[in-house]
Amino acid sequence: MFKNYFKTAWRSIIRNKAFSLINITGLSIGIAASLLLFIVVQYEMSYDRFQPNYDRIYRVVTQDKFDKDITYNSGVPVAALKALRTDLPNIQFGALKSIYGSQVTVPSAGNATGNKFILKSGIFFIEPEIFNIFHYDWLVGGADALKDPNNIVLDERTATTYFGNWQQAMGKTMVLDNAITLKVSGILKNVPANTDLPLSVLVSYETLKQYGSAYNHADNWNTTSSNFNVFALLSPAAKAADIDKALLQFSKRHYDVMQTNSVKRNFLQPLGTIHFDRRFETLGDHVTSKTTLLTLSLIGLFIILMACVNFINLSTALSVNRSREVGIRKVLGSNRSQLFAQIMSETAVIVCLSVILAMGIAWIVLPYIKHIASIKEPLTLFTPKTMGMMLAMGLVVILLAGLYPSFVLSKFNPITALKNKMVSASVRGVSLRRGLVVMQFTISQVLIIATAVAVSQMNFISKADLGVNKEGVLVLSSNGDSLIQSKQMAFKQQLLQVPGVQSVSFNSDAPSSDNTWSSNFAYNHQPDEKFQVTLKFADADYIKTFGVHLIAGQAAAECDTSREAMVNETLLKKLGIKNANDAIGKEIRMGRNKWLPIVGVMQDFKTNSLREEIKPLMITSNKSFQFLTAIKLRTHQLPHTREAIQKIWAQFYPDYAFAPSFFDEDIAKFYQQEEQLSLLYKIFAGLAIFISCLGLYGLVSFMAVQKTKEVGIRKVLGASVASLLKLFSKEFTILIIISFFIAVPVAWYMMHTWLNNFVYRISLSGWFFIVAITGSILIAWITVGYKAIRASLANPVKALRSE
Amino acid sequence: MIKIRDLEKIYRTEEVETVALNKISIDVKEGEFVAIMGPSGCGKSTLLNILGLLDDPDNGSFLFNNIEVAHFNERKRADLRKHNIGFVFQSFNLIDELTVFENVELPLIYTGVKAGDRKKRVEEVLDKMQIMHRRNHYPQQLSGGQQQRVAVARAVVNNPKLILADEPTGNLDSSNGNEVMTLLTDLNEQGTTIIMVTHSEHDARYSHRIIRMLDGQTVLENIMV
Ligand SMILES: Nc1ncnc2c1ncn2[C@@H]1O[C@H](COP(=O)(O)OP(=O)(O)OP(=O)(O)O)[C@@H](O)[C@H]1O
Ligand SMILES: [Mg+2]
Repeated sequence: MFKNYFKTAWRSIIRNKAFSLINITGLSIGIAASLLLFIVVQYEMSYDRFQPNYDRIYRVVTQDKFDKDITYNSGVPVAALKALRTDLPNIQFGALKSIYGSQVTVPSAGNATGNKFILKSGIFFIEPEIFNIFHYDWLVGGADALKDPNNIVLDERTATTYFGNWQQAMGKTMVLDNAITLKVSGILKNVPANTDLPLSVLVSYETLKQYGSAYNHADNWNTTSSNFNVFALLSPAAKAADIDKALLQFSKRHYDVMQTNSVKRNFLQPLGTIHFDRRFETLGDHVTSKTTLLTLSLIGLFIILMACVNFINLSTALSVNRSREVGIRKVLGSNRSQLFAQIMSETAVIVCLSVILAMGIAWIVLPYIKHIASIKEPLTLFTPKTMGMMLAMGLVVILLAGLYPSFVLSKFNPITALKNKMVSASVRGVSLRRGLVVMQFTISQVLIIATAVAVSQMNFISKADLGVNKEGVLVLSSNGDSLIQSKQMAFKQQLLQVPGVQSVSFNSDAPSSDNTWSSNFAYNHQPDEKFQVTLKFADADYIKTFGVHLIAGQAAAECDTSREAMVNETLLKKLGIKNANDAIGKEIRMGRNKWLPIVGVMQDFKTNSLREEIKPLMITSNKSFQFLTAIKLRTHQLPHTREAIQKIWAQFYPDYAFAPSFFDEDIAKFYQQEEQLSLLYKIFAGLAIFISCLGLYGLVSFMAVQKTKEVGIRKVLGASVASLLKLFSKEFTILIIISFFIAVPVAWYMMHTWLNNFVYRISLSGWFFIVAITGSILIAWITVGYKAIRASLANPVKALRSE
Repeated sequence: MIKIRDLEKIYRTEEVETVALNKISIDVKEGEFVAIMGPSGCGKSTLLNILGLLDDPDNGSFLFNNIEVAHFNERKRADLRKHNIGFVFQSFNLIDELTVFENVELPLIYTGVKAGDRKKRVEEVLDKMQIMHRRNHYPQQLSGGQQQRVAVARAVVNNPKLILADEPTGNLDSSNGNEVMTLLTDLNEQGTTIIMVTHSEHDARYSHRIIRMLDGQTVLENIMV
């Protein structure tokens, strides 16, 4: 019986080649797209889930409540670690401190000064206790390797890079930041890529205790750095809510006694939310919001729905032609359930073919998607999870796509079915089809609007005026020590000799950066203000190098320690000062430091990423923080200039690797994730639109066949091609307009919410909506047009005879 | 075998009510060959559809082998139909996607005959209908007469007790038509009951008895000698 089903199924697929092709194309692309989105989403959801204690691991984080706003910090004050251990003795705590941009020097046979590596993705000063909380596999050694000072642990990959192979690495020495000699005391198996704790270079925490001042690591309650993280492992019986209560008491005890202008509280952040909570800095390379994942999942669902809708539409339309077959089978004694099974098995054959094709497509496309979504894991399609998903998807699609057509067809009355072919133009079939077409167009229009808005917002941001000059500024970074500072002036003089160099500035941060260094402050000998000021340290040439505009006063004088200060317009606004000149000569101080006279007021520039507002800013010079060298280049002969700069660098700082970057590229990195997302949206929205066009094309082709006779008669009666085109496109145009009115509020709400993530954003103008409706009408007309013109150009005599 | 009494079938559309069968009563005995004649629209096909359990009457009684079937549901009708009744249509109604062999095999599949037995049965009937050499062809590759022979083969493959034929020669030329009529006569001689609707007096002469209908009623029955 089943053999017979599949035989007929196969033949009817072959007979209706065009429709089968449309169905299989749509379904396979749809399934492949959904599968890929599933892989991306499930990869993001899998972060750190390989940890056996996943559900019991928490990070102790800090909330700072100011008068008007709340800030969050993924770290705690260094002194809190000891207090936590004393006050909450039943909990396992473990701490680590991450440092970015450090340099390690590895002895090398061929190179007397050793090979130098800049660790942009960070090193961790880590307590052995961390390994009681998190589970990692070791190739050599264990947590004890990190007990003593001056020990370093590498993962297999890094050890291989540094020493050729990891077996060689054990016991070797290397130098951190040209100051700390470390011995390799353990090798860690490579940590999976789906982690927010990308451990690769680990130095014992004891080492940091000895060199605390070099890494701004002071054992006090005053500063909270997002780089100092404390993790906690709760016992299986413990409830996070109870611990949070204990932490509230803890916070009151330790923070409320300090006189600050904010209320500081610690609480637990579950490991399961770390990858998704944008309020906190990450130790990994990105945080993904759940909304993004939901959006991607929805797009996947939409795409597969659209493919199913195509299938249903085409099958019910085609059922008109199949009514005779159904009638005969019924006369011969087939009952409804047998027919139902037969048509379902036809669907199954088509879906199975599509699934196989989808696997092929997904297999080819996966590397690109991995690249776009920056998934480093060597993902493959052939995991039990994706295979299971594939199977489930196949089954759901078979049911979704097959149920209705099978139901309709098997219900046919055999007598009417045999009498003529025009059975299923029954009112219900048509209105269902219209409903489904409306649904498809609604989805595609929402996607068109969403994609257009997302893309424009991304363009807006990447072209946005930062208020400073971002082009042609080369930034060199080094983890500064006194040696670097002592040579700075001579280094600068040499650089300025290079013809391509316009100006040079030493500073702590570029004007727009993700720096979050801020402090409480007081103005004009008043008590501390109720908000914080962002700090940057820079020399006098900062203004020239980055093109900062002064609206009052002048640049702060250059000196080794802070003597004069510049502030920005936002700070004055927040202080309620209207005239910038009034601020000149007034004094300001950060924390409990010296009072400094304000000598200049800067026109506002974007201090952070455009997701955030411009922050009140103070710039003063302080050599001990000015590790960055910013060089404004003349635009001609860039490669030549770069080479010259590298030479000078090597001559002054042979112990430091040359790792230049361009300021505008650094800024672009802020928005990398948005950039990637908008690319993903573009691709998948495009696919969804393509699939809905495919369906439309199928429907119109069917309509053309059905209307051959009508078109013939009309032509004999003198109808023009244009009027026939209208006959074909009128219905679809109306359906598109209906779906437009459904799509508008949905898209408006969605994108309004999305844009609210950005402080600097485009407005949701009517143009997006106009583009969507004209776009979809055009797409539909083009799709319809081809078929319709062919139908209307056909010889009417032939059309009439064929019926 | 068949005993219908005061059978009524009324088609209702929004505007008109068509009485297709008006209290019609007919008996057909086992082994009979009956022809039904009458002008277009008098209700012949409607009657045949009801006799073939494809449709149900609005009123009246229909005894099939002494079982009242007038109000059987679709499932029961399908069940009774596939074991007892074969159909031959004017327009052949073969499935285009299936070969000759597969078309004939279909009723056996629906009655659950095993594959090996099916092959034997199908080959037997195809042989009898002299269409064996075309077993792997598709309907479009056959002439009208050949197609109708396949349709007859399909109708008899299950050894039904009753064959219903609605203008079986309507689409055929006279020599092909005669061939089909000979087939039906042979079947009848082997014991199959046949009820045939026809417009042709010539074909009707193959039968034992002609029922003439007008406006949904029988008006005359002639017994052939
Ligand atoms: N589905 C239907 N809906 C409405 N009226 C119908 C339907 N089927 C048949 N009729 C009407 O019932 C009457 C009998 O039709 P039937 O098909 O039985 O005639 P017939 O004797 O077979 O005619 P012909 O020799 O032309 O095939 C006709 O008047 C026809 O119009
Ligand atoms: Mg008829």
